[in-house]
Amino acid sequence: MNRRRLESRAAAYAQLRGVLGIPAGLLFILAALGNWQVGPFRHDWVFVACLLAIGAAHLLVVRGYRRHYGRIRPSAEQQWRAAAALALGVAVVLGGSLLLRSRAGFSLDLPVNAIAVTFAVVMLAAYAIGGALRPHHGAVYGALLLAGALPVWGGEDPSNVGLVLCGAAVIACGALDHLAFTRTFGPRALDA
Amino acid sequence: MPELDRLVHEPGRLAILTVLSSVQDADFLFIQRATGLTKGNLSSHLAKLEDAGLVEIEKRFVRKKPNTSVSITALGRERTARHWEQLEALKHTAQSVSRSQASQSALRSAAASRVRPA
Repeated sequence: MNRRRLESRAAAYAQLRGVLGIPAGLLFILAALGNWQVGPFRHDWVFVACLLAIGAAHLLVVRGYRRHYGRIRPSAEQQWRAAAALALGVAVVLGGSLLLRSRAGFSLDLPVNAIAVTFAVVMLAAYAIGGALRPHHGAVYGALLLAGALPVWGGEDPSNVGLVLCGAAVIACGALDHLAFTRTFGPRALDA
Repeated sequence: MPELDRLVHEPGRLAILTVLSSVQDADFLFIQRATGLTKGNLSSHLAKLEDAGLVEIEKRFVRKKPNTSVSITALGRERTARHWEQLEALKHTAQSVSRSQASQSALRSAAASRVRPA
């Protein structure tokens, strides 16, 4: 019996419910499509309808996990960690984007994809703070970090491409998270 | 050496208490998933832990379905932490004993090779 492994079950439940990554990733891609205003996304109502559908999908996935794997209320320490990760995430994405590439006077104005770089750093930090960092997080978000840091993003603002890359990374990581989740908690309950 | 807490030492109950010590509360299904115990075993262990005052069980309805929520008490948290400390101490003692036994047997074999006739 391994104490650390048993204690990490709650963190795994909180952070490795990977199917939640699908609506979250789609949200990033939707934001990019909305910004580009391509095809039906020229109409605001299409964007809002997609947003509602993504919200509904998120709720269904949460219900599915609760139905098959139960529910927990995280400890005060876990809640504090989640709040710290969120605060750090907002600060890094905003500050990092302004610093790496923006119209601000102090900006380094580098030919990088600031959204992809900062989001990858934030996600790695969030998994580490939450105590559920796995090798596949390093692989997926490391690849996103590398892609964003390549000096090929000169010219037009690459934020929307960055959003699509972030969405794809969230979906890919979600699929791998769900595999890790089912390895930890077993397959879905047949009688639930 | 202090005696081990028999109630907590049983592997199923120690697993339940350890999982519960990392959350505010969890429902029956999550504990079952996290510990790998069967429903019957889990129910029986939870009843014993509740009788001893180590966990609190709340039965409620969530979306018209019965749901059993379990949380660890301060006493349960303290006894679980103490038990893990005792197990760690035992593990260290066993490791140091096995190391000293290994060095003694090495010394003995070295001495035996020295007195062996040519």
